[in-house]
Amino acid sequence: MNNDCGCDKARAELEEYLRNEICRTDAADIRAHLETCEGCQSELHVGIVLTQTVQRACKETAPEELRDQLLARLRTVAS
Amino acid sequence: MSTPTPDPRALFEEQAIPFLDQLYGAALRMTRNPSDAQDLVQETFVKAYAAFGQFEQGTNLKAWLYRILTNTYINLYRKKQRDPYQGSTSDMEDWQLGTAESVTASLSSRSAEAEAIDHLPDSDVKEALQSIPEDFRLAVYLADVEGFSYQEIADIMKTPVGTVMSRLHRGRRLLRGLLTDYARERGLEATAAPARGSKK
Repeated sequence: MNNDCGCDKARAELEEYLRNEICRTDAADIRAHLETCEGCQSELHVGIVLTQTVQRACKETAPEELRDQLLARLRTVAS
Repeated sequence: MSTPTPDPRALFEEQAIPFLDQLYGAALRMTRNPSDAQDLVQETFVKAYAAFGQFEQGTNLKAWLYRILTNTYINLYRKKQRDPYQGSTSDMEDWQLGTAESVTASLSSRSAEAEAIDHLPDSDVKEALQSIPEDFRLAVYLADVEGFSYQEIADIMKTPVGTVMSRLHRGRRLLRGLLTDYARERGLEATAAPARGSKK
């Protein structure tokens, strides 16, 4: 495996990179590596798709009755 | 006490109720069933309303509500439900977590994997989420669905940031492995050359 081409660091921190949770220097290193490494690019792509898929699947709308019950309950708590 | 605040209930309704859908979504992932999720959300809002005087205006209300939701969930449900994974998540071995990130995976297989995951129905994704250990599931939900920062998740889950990171890594890895399996079962072959059914 590619030990000193930057893959190890990039792979280890890809998730953090994706979430903007690493410092600017590290992000710049990873970005630079990604430009030249298709393997890590495709890995990043899987990561992005995974995040989007989970976001899409988890979109929920609260039932109307819950909203109504809740508002009614808050009113009784208040009085 | 004399507060110049107008009507606290009006303020609460105006500021907190808009998060109802999001909190309900999170509650569904926690309790895994709609009726418990509704109860949990109600309890959360009632508590939040009672404590609203302590909320510091201008700080992150969403994170504050999620803290109350998580606390309420742990106190009300986790105790009686006895999650089978409870207490064992950190003891899981890597082999149990699967090896989704195959180092030898070829470029084309990885892009096919992404495509396959993208085509999975929402029900599969939810099922996969339901089946990973609770701590992992919650961390993934808070980070990837709600977009909370690591520090915010640490505050919500009352764990160090390092623990949050490890839960996220392991949770994502498990999830990816499960989704890839589901895709294979559905014939969305992650290794097949040209992805099938690419567009409707």
